[in-house]
Amino acid sequence: MRCAPTSEATLDNKMLSRREFVLGASAALGVVGAVRPLPSWGSDEGPAIPDKDGMIVRSLRFLDLEMPVEYANSFITPVEHFFVRNHMHEPSTLDPGEWRLSIGGEVEKRLTLTLAELRKMEQHTVINTLECAGNGRAYAIPHVPGVQWEKGAVGTARFTGPRLRYLLERAEVRPTGKHVMFRGLDEVPGKVPRFIRSIPIEKATDGDTLVALEMNGAALTKHHGFPARALVPGWIGAASCKWLTEIKVLDKEFEGNFMSPGYRMPNQPVKAGEAVKVENTHPATALNVKSLIASPRDSASVKSRVIQVQGVAWAGEADIAKVEVSTDSGVTWQPARLGKEQSHYAWRLWSRSWNAPKPGAYTIMSRATDTQGRVQPDSVQWNPSGYLINIVDRVQIHVQP
Amino acid sequence: MSSLNLSLTLLLALTCLPGLRAQSADLPPGPGQAKMKTACLECHDSGIIVQQRLAKAAWTKEVDKMIKWGAVVDPGDRDTFIEYLSANFPADKEPYVAPRTATAKKK
Repeated sequence: MRCAPTSEATLDNKMLSRREFVLGASAALGVVGAVRPLPSWGSDEGPAIPDKDGMIVRSLRFLDLEMPVEYANSFITPVEHFFVRNHMHEPSTLDPGEWRLSIGGEVEKRLTLTLAELRKMEQHTVINTLECAGNGRAYAIPHVPGVQWEKGAVGTARFTGPRLRYLLERAEVRPTGKHVMFRGLDEVPGKVPRFIRSIPIEKATDGDTLVALEMNGAALTKHHGFPARALVPGWIGAASCKWLTEIKVLDKEFEGNFMSPGYRMPNQPVKAGEAVKVENTHPATALNVKSLIASPRDSASVKSRVIQVQGVAWAGEADIAKVEVSTDSGVTWQPARLGKEQSHYAWRLWSRSWNAPKPGAYTIMSRATDTQGRVQPDSVQWNPSGYLINIVDRVQIHVQP
Repeated sequence: MSSLNLSLTLLLALTCLPGLRAQSADLPPGPGQAKMKTACLECHDSGIIVQQRLAKAAWTKEVDKMIKWGAVVDPGDRDTFIEYLSANFPADKEPYVAPRTATAKKK
């Protein structure tokens, strides 16, 4: 229950398009074309989402899909396993030939660019771990409203496109330009505020901030923002606006729901359940240090006493310094081996082989430390929206006799 | 125009098919259920509602936010909605277990 219904007293062509889109999605669910009943929830064969494989359904409308944590086992996350976070309806119709990206605001030269023009520009690739600010929200106690993400609103992909800096240089940003706003083509129902956010000019002109056209070597798929999205590496996913169509340079931070009160963190730690005034908050930007255990899975019952504990760890704009593993509920910690593949802004694979001393129940934990000295906390850092939760990860397993 | 009308008729017919409002059956019966479906499931599937675990004060804020954002709720139904949500999805209810999408067929 996040957003409002559209008045459908009039059904114009745009609405019809949206209806068709909904029907298309419904057809994908197997309910329209063959007039078959919906697959029962919890069965092996859940709703079919094109280009997505075995994902946890947090919401079908608007589409929010979480990666099961056992998929966090590769340096690059395949698109079919990459989480989806939509605040609104995806664009119902989008003709890449008609699509344009405009750049305006505090600039000397307004630009309007076609997809072909963007593709002809020098392309830059950034391997980035993208994480939803609300990943882990389900662990906030007392619970807070929103998509109840557990662990998998995160993934790592290779994003390619022109540097945003290059576009801003061509547009000649005026000295008054301090923030850069992104607007996407999400379709907004009712009186819901548009999903528009801004980032500071310093981050916008960082050489790794992109107007991304590709993900893992192929054009962006619709769920991930085709034909173009912002890619703001190391920052919360909400910074990387999908279906990008307008870039506007502003003299101050954009004022809108998704900048305030949305996506803000308390300036000081707060007690669980405590209300926080907006003047005591700041925008959520870079990601926290965090690790996940991909294997063994929580509640697993294993036969072998030789157990390979493995997962991923990331740190936003910092790098991972170390990952430690505990097999005794956090009493003692041993270093994990970090994977060879690495790229600034991307997660590291890690692993540690462990011999369970005897059959029984064990709690296995992982704890990452980054190059800024940040360490995952052992309890949830509660905040009113459940953002940037990065508690040490833990799974409970049973080693069979 | 006639094709638009035909499309519209077809759309309305399909909308009435069981299952198109994919998870509406998940909203448990009770006072307010029918109106909740109309007001909330216009935009959402029920999954986003049934996964929440909130105290009454938090549900009140959510309902008021949705009304502010355009949810069509008769003023007299606001409190019913809050009561319905607080009773069915309270903070201490057991966690919701989300379904998964189909597994892609291996080529």
